[in-house]
Amino acid sequence: MGGAVLAVVLVAILDWRAALLLAVWLGAWALNAWMAQASVAGARILVPVVFGLTLLTLWELAVRLFEVSPVILPAPSAIALAFAANIPTLWVDFVQTILRGALVGYVLGCGIAFLAALAIDRSAFLQKGLLPVGNFIAALPIVGTAPILVMWYGFGPSSKVAVVVAMVFFPMLVNAVQGMKESDAIQRDLMHTYAANYWQTLLKLRLPTAMPFLFNGLKICSTLALIGAIVAEFFGSPTVGMGFRIKIEVGRLAMDMVWAEITVAALAGSGLYGLMALMERQLTFWHPSHRSVRN
Amino acid sequence: MKHLTLSAAALLASGGMALADGHAAEVNLQLQWVTQSQFAGYYVALENGYYDEEALTVNIIPGGPDIAPPQVLAGGGADVMLNWMPSALAARENGLPVVNIAQPFVRSGLMLTCWADSGITEPADLAGHTVAHWFFGNEYPFLSWMSQLDIGVEGGDDGVTLLQAGFNVDPLLQRQADCMSTMTYNEYWQVIDAGVTPDELVTFRYEDYGVSTLEDGIWALEENLEDPEFVDRMARFVRASMRGWAWAAENPDDAAMIVLDYDETGAQTEEHQLRMMGEVALLVEGGDGRLDEAAYQRTVDTLLAGGSDPVISAAPEGAFTHVVTDAALAE
Repeated sequence: MGGAVLAVVLVAILDWRAALLLAVWLGAWALNAWMAQASVAGARILVPVVFGLTLLTLWELAVRLFEVSPVILPAPSAIALAFAANIPTLWVDFVQTILRGALVGYVLGCGIAFLAALAIDRSAFLQKGLLPVGNFIAALPIVGTAPILVMWYGFGPSSKVAVVVAMVFFPMLVNAVQGMKESDAIQRDLMHTYAANYWQTLLKLRLPTAMPFLFNGLKICSTLALIGAIVAEFFGSPTVGMGFRIKIEVGRLAMDMVWAEITVAALAGSGLYGLMALMERQLTFWHPSHRSVRN
Repeated sequence: MKHLTLSAAALLASGGMALADGHAAEVNLQLQWVTQSQFAGYYVALENGYYDEEALTVNIIPGGPDIAPPQVLAGGGADVMLNWMPSALAARENGLPVVNIAQPFVRSGLMLTCWADSGITEPADLAGHTVAHWFFGNEYPFLSWMSQLDIGVEGGDDGVTLLQAGFNVDPLLQRQADCMSTMTYNEYWQVIDAGVTPDELVTFRYEDYGVSTLEDGIWALEENLEDPEFVDRMARFVRASMRGWAWAAENPDDAAMIVLDYDETGAQTEEHQLRMMGEVALLVEGGDGRLDEAAYQRTVDTLLAGGSDPVISAAPEGAFTHVVTDAALAE
């Protein structure tokens, strides 16, 4: 504690602004450490909230104290104002990019990958043929494929869906293929002795054991889908969409609006990820990794 | 080393202008696009030693699709930038106080190129058609023009459907768009190079319809211009650059070859750069670097007439200065 005060005083001799930032940081740190140790009620929620608020406060203070130009880094308050003032625009961009581009591509890409994994699982021939093709597609850089797909599928959402499908296909496929191998031979033998057919074994044994892998794939792909849909808009789009908006607002140096779009993307990404994590928790409650939660 | 010796010699020669510490003053110039003949004047001034004669060490920084020159300027990555006036004024309104210190391009090279068989014979026919444009601050002149013609850009039968194109002319060639924004010195020739003959196309030059806005100008940060040393450095930079432009306009072929030598990407072709230099020479012809206030006013009026979503919401104050060009032209 004494060391922290000493550090703040020392820095204050050099630059009082840096000292103020340091003091806020150390103060918030001490508060969080105390809450964690003293097991304050609700600390599990409070600690991350305090951490997030500290970061925002430091950002706001730093931008104001050091007079950072708004075209380099706008303050969180300016971003919040831009967000509030442009909700209709942010909403149509959200609909265009997230709902009509990323989500459709996510569902399509992950769905196709899952079906492909089932097919690969049944046929050694496909396993040798499809996996390398999936790998190949995953290795294509988006800056190369996006302009081509825009030329093929037009400027609208369909080309963004195609980009997203190409991006999420492989991570989902690899996870699903691995998941299908998860059940033990002895478990499958047991199903066999019950005279279960392929579909019954699939539904009752192999899909449940594959769930942790499927959700891994779905979670990884949830963020990939957003990145794909937004970046693909850089290479051609109608005059609506998050990627389009980011590009033109950077052009006119309205960085607060760019950050507002980034906020929307972050919220949408966290939301989709959280939804997947929640579903995983519900569907794979039996898995060892979730048992400790109920202690 | 060679540069240093040269500039030291030039420094001695230039006598009174020499700086106290004996080093050549540095100028970092941010271009608004990749190395090409659009910037020939600066490369010529560098190659022919005009900058050295002014005791300047000039670093020319090429731009690209994701580089916004105003942002580079704001971040301290450059002392001056080349920028189109609409985009620079928009940046100014958004809190980056940039000031036009010289205007080498006196005419606009922007035009709309349409398929002749699309039935478009004049700009008013654009309603109901699809237009592809690049966005990154370059779309403002088009938006203002459509607003003046009372044509919406939200699509439909009586509006233009606007597409945001990447950085090639594919949308036109693929007929995803009936018209596309082109520069007289660049994209138009990409269309021609793709095997299209000029009589298959109709073009509308912004210059001919009185809706042109000023293009490549030299911009610096307002706060720097309070420093007399900076103003002097800029005056020497502008003077040498305009000498470069004059030489480039007189020797377009040689200028294009100099540009090719400086193209580190090796992406530019000789034929394209020669043609570009020829067209660019027409845009700088008759200018001495001094901003024409009537053209400035026309640009501002055009931008303010941007309809529901004007590029700038108020006439800018102090967005240009003659201080630098007055000093540069005083000799």
